[in-house]
Amino acid sequence: MGTTLTIAIAEYSEIIRQGLEQILKRLPDFKIQCVIIAAHEQLHDTLSTWKPDLLVINPAFPGSFPLEQLRETTGCAQMKCAALIYAATDAHLLRAYDEQIHIYDTPDEIAHKLERMHLKETLPVDQEDEQQTLSTREKEIVVCVVKGMTNREIAEQLFLSTHTVITHRRNIARKLQIHSPSGLTIYAIVNKLVELSDIQ
Amino acid sequence: MYKNGKYQETDKMSDLICENYPMVLVMSRFGIALGFGEKNIGEVCRQNKVDTCTFLTVVNFLVEEQHSPSPVENINQCLSLETLMSYLHNAHDYFLNFRLPHIRRKLVEAIEDCPKDVAFAITRFFDEYAGEVHKHMMYEEKNVFPYVRGLLGGRKDPKYNISIFMKRHDQIEMKIVELKNILIKYYPGAGTNLLNSVLFDIFATESDLASHNHVEDYLFVPAIMALEKQIS
Repeated sequence: MGTTLTIAIAEYSEIIRQGLEQILKRLPDFKIQCVIIAAHEQLHDTLSTWKPDLLVINPAFPGSFPLEQLRETTGCAQMKCAALIYAATDAHLLRAYDEQIHIYDTPDEIAHKLERMHLKETLPVDQEDEQQTLSTREKEIVVCVVKGMTNREIAEQLFLSTHTVITHRRNIARKLQIHSPSGLTIYAIVNKLVELSDIQ
Repeated sequence: MYKNGKYQETDKMSDLICENYPMVLVMSRFGIALGFGEKNIGEVCRQNKVDTCTFLTVVNFLVEEQHSPSPVENINQCLSLETLMSYLHNAHDYFLNFRLPHIRRKLVEAIEDCPKDVAFAITRFFDEYAGEVHKHMMYEEKNVFPYVRGLLGGRKDPKYNISIFMKRHDQIEMKIVELKNILIKYYPGAGTNLLNSVLFDIFATESDLASHNHVEDYLFVPAIMALEKQIS
């Protein structure tokens, strides 16, 4: 299961742009949508429209400095910025960026840098829990969801806080890759957690 | 300008279709039937009274989109929003009145032998999904298209703009992905050729819906935004 990211690439060279785009798209563990910015006139509009998670930008691109202001005027407060580096560049200039991507970086290095920028969701999951089977508690919650109960009703019945119920539901969705109640119904019936008569 | 679009009006229509078979659907949504012989794209479009520029813009967008969906940077000035809307409308009609009912019939037949309650839950899931697609597409038919027709007539509805649509336009293919996952991972009955065929239909519909959404997000919406700017 990959982390979904929108990455804007602001770069003049089409060869570099497409090369970077191909590498990003093939990174395992990520599902990356690339937005291309080929000319500096498009920088503001594209960022405002797409609100990418990350902007990879050639430092020679005009209109990007200061980055803080760019984030503010485009409404992308959370956006990380990485400098796309071809050659030796003034270290002082690069300090403003969250990260640097060098054109000789390997795909592994790029993936590592994406992770370092905390773009990859780190779900608070302990390793043993990573198996796909549901715990008894989670199964109880599936049954309640399938019966059409609200989070609050589930919390009351199982003596949990709604917050805990929501966390359980998120974990269930992650483990099963099923997000909708009607999808969970199929799962619950196939695994004999409920009878059809319970939910009709 | 569609700069260096892969296909041009002097290319043969049959080459386009044979090299990219999903284009058979695109062609028919523009109202062009099979049996065009050796004619080139421009000739076939003119014969069918389809705006060639719009046809080529959509085709080239979809052909390139397979590599990377991204917004079209400079929308061709000659793009006809009216033609594009009729294309989108026909696509909606295809999904709602042909593709989804067709999959449903096949699905129901394919799961006939699995336990009754499972079949019931799967069918219900499908119907809910079809209902969502219906809602999604009807919003466009009832709100977006009339708004755009107003713009084309020089009237700007002060209460609406296309960014409202952009915000609520969700990825309608996501839930069918879920059905696919459920069938693949949890289907309890014996696998059959028919069920496999349903799965293939679902895979195809998933990518077809995604492409359809991309045309809306990356071609239709930017064209409307440009028109909004012109009018205000």
